[in-house]
Amino acid sequence: MRPKKPQLSLLWGADIGEHVIALAWSTGAPRLAAAAVGGPITLFELDGRVAGRLAGHDFGTAALAWRPGTPVLASAGQDGKIRLWDCAADGGRELLALAGGAAWVERLAWRPDGALLASAAGRKLRVWTPDGALVREFAAHASTIADIAWVTPAFIPAELRPAQPVLVAAAYGGITLWSPEQAEPLARFEWKGSSLVLAPSPDGRYIATGDQDASVHFWIVVDGHDLQMWGYPTKVRELSWDPTARYLATGGSSSVTVWDCGGAGPEGTRPKVLDWHTDTVSAVAFQQRSAGYQPALRDGTAQALLASGGLDARLALWRAEKSRKAPLAMAEMAAPVSQLVWSPDDTCLAAGDAAGSVQLYGVRD
Amino acid sequence: MANPTDSRVPVTVLTGFLGSGKTTLLNRILTEQHGKRIAVIENEFGEVGVDQELVIGAEEEIFEMNNGCICCTVRGDLIRILGNLMKRKDRFDYILIETTGLADPGPVAQTFFMDDEIQSQLYLDAVVTVVDAHHVWQHLDDTPEVQEQIAFADVILLNKIDLVTPPDLDRLEARIRHMNSVARILRTECGDTPIANLLDVGGFRLDRALQVDARFLELEYPFEWAGVYHLEAGPHELVLQPGPDDPTMDVVLAPVSVASAAGIEEGLRTAEMAFAGRALAQVYDGTALEPRLALFRLPLTHAGRARRNGGSPEMAFPIAISQTGAYALFTEHHPSEFDLALEGPESCVYPVAEREFKPPHEHNDEVTSVGITTPGDLVVKRLNAWLSDLLRTKGPDIFRMKGVLSIQGEAERFVFQGVHMLFDGRPDRPWDDEPRRNSLVFIGRNLDRAALNAGFRDCLAAPAKVQP
Repeated sequence: MRPKKPQLSLLWGADIGEHVIALAWSTGAPRLAAAAVGGPITLFELDGRVAGRLAGHDFGTAALAWRPGTPVLASAGQDGKIRLWDCAADGGRELLALAGGAAWVERLAWRPDGALLASAAGRKLRVWTPDGALVREFAAHASTIADIAWVTPAFIPAELRPAQPVLVAAAYGGITLWSPEQAEPLARFEWKGSSLVLAPSPDGRYIATGDQDASVHFWIVVDGHDLQMWGYPTKVRELSWDPTARYLATGGSSSVTVWDCGGAGPEGTRPKVLDWHTDTVSAVAFQQRSAGYQPALRDGTAQALLASGGLDARLALWRAEKSRKAPLAMAEMAAPVSQLVWSPDDTCLAAGDAAGSVQLYGVRD
Repeated sequence: MANPTDSRVPVTVLTGFLGSGKTTLLNRILTEQHGKRIAVIENEFGEVGVDQELVIGAEEEIFEMNNGCICCTVRGDLIRILGNLMKRKDRFDYILIETTGLADPGPVAQTFFMDDEIQSQLYLDAVVTVVDAHHVWQHLDDTPEVQEQIAFADVILLNKIDLVTPPDLDRLEARIRHMNSVARILRTECGDTPIANLLDVGGFRLDRALQVDARFLELEYPFEWAGVYHLEAGPHELVLQPGPDDPTMDVVLAPVSVASAAGIEEGLRTAEMAFAGRALAQVYDGTALEPRLALFRLPLTHAGRARRNGGSPEMAFPIAISQTGAYALFTEHHPSEFDLALEGPESCVYPVAEREFKPPHEHNDEVTSVGITTPGDLVVKRLNAWLSDLLRTKGPDIFRMKGVLSIQGEAERFVFQGVHMLFDGRPDRPWDDEPRRNSLVFIGRNLDRAALNAGFRDCLAAPAKVQP
């Protein structure tokens, strides 16, 4: 069955006043949280009504993360704090404020089961319970932690295999895998360079990083080997895996570059190049297929749509299997695109821009 | 003034060794009524808002890259903080970065050329270095950080001058000038200088690449000496005693308007042009020399004549002065080597003013400036080959470079500036009536002055093509 060409249709737009630094969908009742770089956080209902406004963080908010399946939103910012907000309460209410350990708390990640929250502030990586008890502070990293994520490794030596996902942190000098159960790192993958973002593949085989020196690395979790992909014109801060773990979409240029990890790839393969943006790509996001929304392609497999946004203020939808010169659907915002996130059911794409505009697009095949 | 076509935000980097008065200067800038909204990035300090300003603490994080290339080394902390600052709605008019006393300014500067995100929104205006005039002596020889901070600077504040005697201060300024011949040097107490001297300096701007005061360039000239004379009309003689084994001596005798040091300055360009056209030199053939804008070649094998008072034979070259006035004489070799004298009809004539162009003896400074200025057009292929080889092999030792070049066949001036191996250059405005010439300066460690000059001159087109 040939899929119809998807459409991007604007459902609503709002203005939060300043560069949209973070967008996050709750997985419970679908709500969108949007943080302005200066601090305030706005909660939107699916229909665009404002459900609440949170003060956020003095000097600026940096990150948002909903506790999976709950109305609890965690935020981090440049007041050195991690704040937890109960957004079921009318307008939202602050539950807790935790000290991240440095002036700027920049990254947050809930373990997928929602039982633990990790925070990164400067060189400090801390793990908390949802009620604010500090579970562990790991040994300081050698430099500021650039990104963190939880990953369930596909396979690591059995004696080291944890029952739960492990925490991975990227910093200058490589990435480190940690278990909340122990003080010593599970593994350290060293590389003389600076990783800016990381994205574990959904199958746990790879941890991809985007790097300051205009490269992308694929760390093979099982043995710590890495594949280095060079040739980007600029640093890479945009990474997104498709839910089958076959494709990794990357920015780092005015094209969307897609690596195919199927078969022998990605090593030695030529990436697919989606060439349409007129300025640097600033956001990429595959649909996550976490809900039941799965239209079939000709070959019967679900093929997630890929959304891209650029400093050219344009949005595009793609399918990643072929290099293309034109997207399947496109839209234009008023300012450079800063954030792109799919709704939990993959039917809506939320976009934020550098001037403070938040827009919700309906996506139909 | 800021470049009106550039909407990027200027950044000034403030360096200086511990105790130099950097923080006092910073506080002065922040409290002065300058009407600018300034963000300050300080080392290890919390984020504090001071009225209009924002102060953010940063901890130096040096990012070296896998390829080990020194020019790829950047400051990760600055990329992160500046990237965030530029997303804010209340944009800043100006950003000041205060480094630690031991910071290497190289990675700070390179951050503004190596990171596309930073480069698209910000530009490095200048490196301002504060020097403790009283205590810096003990660090000049053996503290690489102090040497680098001076070498990288566009503006140097000799601070705490109230604690130093004027002769010591002059000595210090001369020493620092030798290390960095292009920085503006200001003498201050408590960092007290008008803010206009510190902000919007344009130290890395290509269109100001050669707002370099040529007096401070320790240039290499093709002549070693010049003297200006007042000469009466009538026959004169240039008399030389046998000297070193030079086969010839090139000289220029140019009429100038005043018999003073200014006359030498006036004749400088003429003399340089004439020396550049060596192939066209007029070899002495027994006829009297006449003052004009041309190069005369005096054969030193010229049969000498007996000295009036005995001794070894001397060489005399007749000069015909038809009009009483001021004349500047430029000589290829130092006159003392040949006991050169200018004899008038009655007696010996002495120069009213003279200047030596012989390169001064090198101090033992590791960090020096090498200035090159010369007329002539550059062959672009040779220049590219020389520069790329130079930067590849000497890049880590070259802290700053800047200049204006005259490229053969190009109507526009070519302006450039660079930090280590990073080279930024482009054609600028047309030369038009301005005489085409090359002026450039390298500031670095262990620079080989002679090799740099020789390498650069090898890039020049044959002189015959300069003045066809």
